[in-house]
Amino acid sequence: MSYYPYRHPLIQFIIIKKEVMRILFLAVVIVGVAIADGKLTGRWQTQPSEKGNITGVVFKADNTIEGYVNKKPFVSGTYSFDPGDSILSFVDNGCNGVRGIYKVMFYCNSDSLRFNVISDSCTERKNGMLRLVMGRVK
Amino acid sequence: MKKYVIVTIIVTGIVFIQAAATMNSITDKEKLGEALFFDPILSKDSTVSCASCHRPEYAFADTSAVSIGVDGKKGIRNTPTAMNLSLGKSFFWDGRAGTLEEQALAPIKNPDEMNLAVEEAVHRLKNSKKYRGYFLKVFNIEPDRTNLAVAIAAFERTLETSDSPFDNWKFSDDSIAVSAAAKRGFVIFNGKAKCIKCHFGADFTANDFRNIGLFNGKNLNDSGRYLISKKEEDIGKFKTSSLRNVAITAPYMHNGMFKRLDDVIDFYNDTRKIVPDAINTDTLLIQPLRLTKKERYDLKAFLISLTDKRFKK
Repeated sequence: MSYYPYRHPLIQFIIIKKEVMRILFLAVVIVGVAIADGKLTGRWQTQPSEKGNITGVVFKADNTIEGYVNKKPFVSGTYSFDPGDSILSFVDNGCNGVRGIYKVMFYCNSDSLRFNVISDSCTERKNGMLRLVMGRVK
Repeated sequence: MKKYVIVTIIVTGIVFIQAAATMNSITDKEKLGEALFFDPILSKDSTVSCASCHRPEYAFADTSAVSIGVDGKKGIRNTPTAMNLSLGKSFFWDGRAGTLEEQALAPIKNPDEMNLAVEEAVHRLKNSKKYRGYFLKVFNIEPDRTNLAVAIAAFERTLETSDSPFDNWKFSDDSIAVSAAAKRGFVIFNGKAKCIKCHFGADFTANDFRNIGLFNGKNLNDSGRYLISKKEEDIGKFKTSSLRNVAITAPYMHNGMFKRLDDVIDFYNDTRKIVPDAINTDTLLIQPLRLTKKERYDLKAFLISLTDKRFKK
């Protein structure tokens, strides 16, 4: 024999509404995280330098990273990105496994970015990263 | 007689049209540099041009261990590729040129190469109606040593390659652009074989100088960078070559002693086996790499994937 406790219709409505609101809230959070996670994903590159060189980075959805100069790939690695603090952490094949940790500064509607170093003992990489001002390639 | 006059007029017209077309095609320093690069006017006996040794079909390298200059003179070092130099910091095996402009004039005056004083080369260009016109058009002044160097260097800077299977894989994200062997080879390149320690960068060179174990002071007595820097630690060091298009730039090393890529890989696998009495070898290369046959095969597959598609046969 099934048993359904009696609830006043008004209370039932409030419970259902709370449930719907909870589901909606979760959906917003999930979508928000997805969007924030994707904030860095994609291709970014600089304007041409004085010598005409264009440096770019591709942050892939599978957490791999590729860097290039003038369409020539020169560095590969893996990264993680904390969208809450905009903290980028990565290792690549050019610095003996040394990890670089940077804060990513987004601007212009998150269509441009630059990097502030938090921790990177690979001096040449750090000097290169700090010079980068990149726009999203659409 | 009438026919003869008509034919003469037509032929003269064709010659003038062609000359005008050529003149019109030289509109910038890159095109002027290209014309100079391929012109033996810059050699003493007008038989040798830059392209005589920097052969386009071999990624602007040569196929002989050392190249032949005017009067059949042999050089002492292998002709390096003239491609992918824009990101370079120094030029020649010993890095004696700090800019491409400096590099461009050196072979002209080298007695073993083109053997022509730069002043004489400039004099020839001034006396050439064609070149005088080109230089005036491009630089607004007559030929001189500066704009001669600028033009050749400008052309060399156009010789960039970035469309190899490896580039398509990594830049364009085309996962089927390279073979599985090449992908494994890339892992080996970055890992067990330690190639990345020296061959790191967009052109697969860190642009530094290394002694890889090819100096013993006897039959291998080219001390390389030491001749320029005079620093003891530079004995036997040579500039790390770019690996772009390496599969078609044989023979290899500063003296062209290795004919095949397999020979190069075998050498790096155990340098002491090939040159047991090497002096001042980089510590990276003192211990054998112990690459298996399969790993050597995969590494070679990766290196082949660095060949630009323009050279695909």
